[in-house]
Amino acid sequence: MTIVRVEKVEDCFDGSSVYRYWLDRTWTREDILGLQALGELEYFADFPRPFFRLHCPDGMQAKGVEGEDNCQAVFPSRDRETIRERLEAFLQR
Amino acid sequence: MTATASAPCAGRRGESLANNDRRPVYLNNAATAWPRAPGVVEAVADALRTPPAHPGRSGGRTPDVAAECRRLLAGLLGVSTPERLVLTVHATSALNLAIGGLDLRPGELVVTTVTEHNSVLRPLNHLQRDRGIRVTTVGLGEDGGLDVRAFEQALAEQPALVVVNHASNVTGRVTEVGPLFARARAAGAVTLLDASQSLGHIPVHAPALHADLVAFTGHKGLHGPPGTGGLYVTPGLELGQTFVGGTGVRSDLRLHPAEMPVRLEAGTPNLPALAGLAVALRWGTTDGRRLNANLQRVASRLRNGLRSLTGVTLFDDVPEAPRTGVVSFAVEGWRVDDVGCALEESFGIACRTGLHCAPLIHRAIGSAPHGTVRLSVSGFNSDQDVDAALEAVERIAR
Repeated sequence: MTIVRVEKVEDCFDGSSVYRYWLDRTWTREDILGLQALGELEYFADFPRPFFRLHCPDGMQAKGVEGEDNCQAVFPSRDRETIRERLEAFLQR
Repeated sequence: MTATASAPCAGRRGESLANNDRRPVYLNNAATAWPRAPGVVEAVADALRTPPAHPGRSGGRTPDVAAECRRLLAGLLGVSTPERLVLTVHATSALNLAIGGLDLRPGELVVTTVTEHNSVLRPLNHLQRDRGIRVTTVGLGEDGGLDVRAFEQALAEQPALVVVNHASNVTGRVTEVGPLFARARAAGAVTLLDASQSLGHIPVHAPALHADLVAFTGHKGLHGPPGTGGLYVTPGLELGQTFVGGTGVRSDLRLHPAEMPVRLEAGTPNLPALAGLAVALRWGTTDGRRLNANLQRVASRLRNGLRSLTGVTLFDDVPEAPRTGVVSFAVEGWRVDDVGCALEESFGIACRTGLHCAPLIHRAIGSAPHGTVRLSVSGFNSDQDVDAALEAVERIAR
C-alpha cells in the first residue's frame, strides 16, 4: 500500500489534527485486520460496505471502509508528528 | 416520493453503492434541500443558454425574474410591498446586511439566543469586538424551548435589536416568535427573524410574527438553487448600505441609489439562479404545499423510530414540540463523526455531524463538545428512506 496523497479534513473544530489518506489501492479485509497491530480494531463486516475504526493507545483514531482507497485519521495534539509518522510508515509498509 | 442521491463525503461512494445495488438516501436537507423543486434545473439551464438580459436594462423584452421572485416572496411572507424584498446570495449575506445595516452604536444591546447559527452569532461577535455593542444570549428553559422569562428580563434593558431564529438547524424546534417579537417591539427593539430553516416548511408571515426583518435562503425549504436568498425589510426601516456599486439604474448618481430594493443590492444579480428560484416559489404555492404534510409525517416516523432504538439518544426529545424535519442524536460508544462516516460510506445515508455551525446550543441540549449526528428530511423523502436510515442506525448501535 502506498500513500498517494494526504489532505487535511476540515470539520467543526480545529482541523489540524484530522487527515485523509489517499492510497494507491483499496482496503481489503486483510489490510483492515492488519491494523490490529496498531491498536484496538473494530471491524463491522456485516455493514453493506464493511466499516472499520481503530483506537490506538497513543490516542490516534482511524476509520475507513473496505473497498475504498482512503481512510481518515485523527491525531492527538501530543506527539502528533511522531504518531503521524508511525501510521504513515505502517500504511506504506 | 423518494430522495436518493450520491452522498457527498469522500468521493465515488454513490458509484460504489450503485454497484452494490444500494441507492444512497439523502437526509441532509437542513444543509441544502435535494431534490430541487420540479422545473428548477431546467429554468437555470434555460437562463444560462439564453442571451443574458438584466432587469431594468433590457427594455422589458424578457421576463424580469428578479421582480417575479420579489412578488412571490412578498406573497409568501404575507406582505404587500415586494420592493422591500432584497435579493441576496444566501441567508448569511441577508443577515449581515441586516445586522450591519442597523448602525448599532457602542453600548447598544442586542438580544439573541443560544439556538442561533454562526451567520447571526459571528456578525454580532464582530460588532461586539469592533464597535463595543453588548450582546445578551438567551438560553433554553426546562421544556427545551427558549427561556421566555430570561428573554423578557433581557428586554427590560431596552435592546436596539432582537434576533431570533425561527427553527433550530440542530433540533428542528420551532420557536413561537410572534409573542416574543411583539414584546421586543414594545420594548423599542428592531426584530430580526432568521427564517433559514423555516421558510417553505412552515408559515412565515412577517406581520403576524411582528418581524421587522426576515432573512431567508432559497436552497433549503424553498427547494431552489443555492446562491439565492433574501431579506425582507419592513416599510419605514431603512438599513445602512453595506454593498454599493453598479446597479444598472441611476448611473448618473455619485452615490448608490437610496430607493429600495436597489438600495441594498449592487452588482450583477445571479439571474439564472433567480430563474430557478422563481420556479421553486411558484411550485411552493401549489404542489409544494402538499409536501410539507409528508415532511411532518416522515419526520415523526424518523424521530419515533430513533427514540425506540437501544443505545440512541435523541437531543431535545420533547415529542409535542413543534418542529421541522431535523432530528439530532448520538449513539452510545460512538463518536458522532464515526456515526456519520458509517452512515454515509457504509450505508449510503447522507447526513451531517458536528456542531452544525450553531456552537452555543450544544451545551444547552447536552451535546457539547462534539455535537450531534443530524438527519433532516424534506417532503420528498419517503417512508423507505426513513426506514433505511433507521435500519442503519440500529445496526450501528447494535
